[in-house]
Amino acid sequence: MRRVQTEVLVIGGGATGTGILRDLAMRGFDALLVEQRDLSHGTTGRYHGLLHSGGRYVVKDPKAAVECIEENRVLRRIMPHCIEDTDGFFVVTPWDDIDYVSKFVEGCRVAGIPCEEVPVAKALAEEPYLNRRISHCFRVPDGSADSFLSAEDTVASAREHGAVLLTYHRVDGLVREGDRVVGARCHDLVAGEDVEVAADLVVNASGAWAGRIAAGADIHFEVLAGKGTMVAVNHRMVNTVINRCKMPDDGDIIVPIHTVAVIGTTDERVGDPERFTIEPWEIRLMLEEGEKLVPGISQMRILRAWAGVRPLYQETSTDETRDVTRAYAMLDHGTRDGVEGMVTMTGGKWTTFRQMAEVCVDRVCVKLGVERPCRTHLEPLPQSAAHPRYHWLGARLATIEEEQTYGDLVCECELATRDQVVDSIVIGEAKTIDDVRRDVRVGMGPCQGGWCAARVTGLIHELRSPPVEESNVALRDFLQERWKGLLPILWGSQLRQERLDELVHLSVLNVPDLPGPTASRLAPVAYQAPEGEP
Amino acid sequence: MNGTVVVVGAGPAGLMAGLAAARAGARVRVLAKGWGLFHWHAGCVDVLGYDPVGGGRIVSLREGLAALIAARPDHPYGLVGVDGVLAALADVSTVCAAAGYPLVGSFDRNRLVLTGVGGARPTCLAPATMAAGDLDRGDPAVIVGFDRFLDLTAGLVAANLEHRGIPSRAVTLDLPSLRGRRFVNGPILAALFETESFRAEVAAVLSPKVGRAGRVGFPAVLGLEGAAAVVADLRRRLGVDVFEIPVAPPSIPGIRLHRILVAAIRAAGGRVHDGMEAVGSESAERRVTALLTESAARNLRTRADAFVLATGGILGGGIVGHEDGELTEVVFGLPVNGPGDRADWLRPDFTDPAGHPVYRSGLTVDAELRPVGDDGMPVFGNVHVAGGAIGGADAIAERSVDGIALATGRYAGTLAAATALDRSEEAAAS
Repeated sequence: MRRVQTEVLVIGGGATGTGILRDLAMRGFDALLVEQRDLSHGTTGRYHGLLHSGGRYVVKDPKAAVECIEENRVLRRIMPHCIEDTDGFFVVTPWDDIDYVSKFVEGCRVAGIPCEEVPVAKALAEEPYLNRRISHCFRVPDGSADSFLSAEDTVASAREHGAVLLTYHRVDGLVREGDRVVGARCHDLVAGEDVEVAADLVVNASGAWAGRIAAGADIHFEVLAGKGTMVAVNHRMVNTVINRCKMPDDGDIIVPIHTVAVIGTTDERVGDPERFTIEPWEIRLMLEEGEKLVPGISQMRILRAWAGVRPLYQETSTDETRDVTRAYAMLDHGTRDGVEGMVTMTGGKWTTFRQMAEVCVDRVCVKLGVERPCRTHLEPLPQSAAHPRYHWLGARLATIEEEQTYGDLVCECELATRDQVVDSIVIGEAKTIDDVRRDVRVGMGPCQGGWCAARVTGLIHELRSPPVEESNVALRDFLQERWKGLLPILWGSQLRQERLDELVHLSVLNVPDLPGPTASRLAPVAYQAPEGEP
Repeated sequence: MNGTVVVVGAGPAGLMAGLAAARAGARVRVLAKGWGLFHWHAGCVDVLGYDPVGGGRIVSLREGLAALIAARPDHPYGLVGVDGVLAALADVSTVCAAAGYPLVGSFDRNRLVLTGVGGARPTCLAPATMAAGDLDRGDPAVIVGFDRFLDLTAGLVAANLEHRGIPSRAVTLDLPSLRGRRFVNGPILAALFETESFRAEVAAVLSPKVGRAGRVGFPAVLGLEGAAAVVADLRRRLGVDVFEIPVAPPSIPGIRLHRILVAAIRAAGGRVHDGMEAVGSESAERRVTALLTESAARNLRTRADAFVLATGGILGGGIVGHEDGELTEVVFGLPVNGPGDRADWLRPDFTDPAGHPVYRSGLTVDAELRPVGDDGMPVFGNVHVAGGAIGGADAIAERSVDGIALATGRYAGTLAAATALDRSEEAAAS
């Protein structure tokens, strides 16, 4: 068993945990983060990519709307390279209640969200595929965000300030001494060894897993997992985020992000954040609702479906101290449960992750008896400090044209070059092909890994020289993970594309025949059917 | 119309049908949207690699095929029988040998061909350019990759060979003549290998690294038209056996097979056209009279006495699966047999050895490969179906893609010629 010592241990490598890690490190804490898989493997990497203006919440949850617009401004300043400045439209379709419009406009005014009515003719000129039967359109500062890149670069910044990251370290339990949590028992999935992390304070930032983690210290609260299913369409038929101007509901948003457009989402309670299926009705609902915004969208090629689990904090105890808005929950287990040494930060949305981190680390300062102000909103991430520009759709192509690297593409769909993949493996320490996907988007385009999967396997093998069974199983894991995302949406052209991928991987290359196990211990578990179901 | 056969599709099924019909005396036109399966596949002739009934790898095709037909009479192979398969293999072997590109293999023992990730693909016939890579040979091998050619990583292939007990070494060539190129891909390497200067450059760098190995494996890019000569020349220069390893598409060895069959059809008097997507047909009295195609310039109507439908299944695009679970045939609107509920289409494991039910969907045909309706009667008397459009097999799961296509293609072409010639005799008589 390995032993590691740190001042503050952060559990969870999503937006919340990575944001907390950076904040801690910038305030001079000795901080270490453990994540059971890769950064943003959980909910952070499985959302639609909306940078909220707050417009969606102005009527339902005005406080959350204010948080969103404040953080929207901060994130545009500190990480523009992770954001595409798409703007957002709120449109009133024939299915929407016209009475909502005045509430929406007033809500934006109160929350301080810039909101401008766009004449329908102008909106249709900007977005010609938009439903021509809309009656009103409002422009707000929505955007789309690369949550993979943001988590990665947030950690890079944290590391510059001395923080430590341990991915593929699963927390098996918390270490408690009397009324105090003093660390966590972890398991390093790559090395296959146990690791005990001793810490002065533990920050539980494990999202939908937070209740389970805390239960390991005999602290009990409930975090419900709300599954949100999304589908990616093969075209950016809109270049502006399109929202229905109504109370937020299933399937009422289309987010253009990178080379695709994402329709989101459903909201279904699931018992286990790691085991759930995507139901056919969810896909149908997304397409039916998407059709109301962009007629014809359901006939377009669907690339992939996925689901993330929102953590929904459930109050079980009435007499407690917690800093909470309706958007997120900060639990101080010293005051709430009489157990010192741990705080939990859960819930929230990607757009407000930095603010959540600030609130959480403010509490950490109190717990550790120091006074150090937050600076995460003042200093841009290193990559943005160097090039303070928004991300734009053509950026990758422009770079490739400039560098004349067409011939070095590993993934032709997403224009990922060999150098990028090599960096992901060597510098980014990618353990699986799915990790490389999150880093550089290989396998996320129309062919869904038909060509790049074997190429990345070759590069991993070349750079790492692992036992060959590990390289082989990495390829099989990736193909199976990809399959899970494809299963709900395979029909039409995408079914045919999938068949071609089978011709390549099963017949030409015969991947199943390669030596090694069928699946590895690093294989993602999400999207497996719940126990007892087929 | 003088015994005209129109073949729709230019994959192995369509080309074999065109060749068989032309040789049987019909006027043949092969019309295709683009090129077919050969360009995407390994350039071998897979007949049956895995047993879809009992599972497990097929060693002897003679036994395995007979057992499959006995257990699954509705399998496409049941329509042509073992003899039909053997006849197609004999035809394709003869045509390839005559073109100076011999195929090797035996019906009594599937070969194991090394793949671009180091796997082993069971196949019946492989081009002679792949012969020395036979995995039943245990002698040491050198695996050659090219820097910037990402479809074969020599180290990965060699490591998998080592795992099989075959001593192997990886060499990745970083050649001066490739460094300045914008692209290093299969077609470019194939063109370069046709030049003596490139072969000399490769051999000069490689020779000192061959050591005691008895054979050297390259990605399957060793020339397009003159592959046999390229391999012979490299063998002479290196002093050891040289073999090709199939990689992801575009398939250079597949393109060779495609070109050889197209040339054979032309030599037999047939014509082959691409860029003509079949979009519909005209029919009267349960016979198709004309095929409607769309191309960039104009829409065309092509009349014929008999038709071969060789548009493939879901892979070829001949059959489309829809969101509501409906499966449709795109050219003639023929009824498709398959699972009607999308929930039943696919299994949870990508590599499930049993395959996926939706891929077994396809047309139901009678003994003369004519598509039949629910009443069991032919929908059209002069349409014969070949290849992936015929239901009853997940050909990728069982590794039978080429065999089914060639065997049913040959039979469909022969039948279509007979139908067309009968028809033209009738026309002449009246």
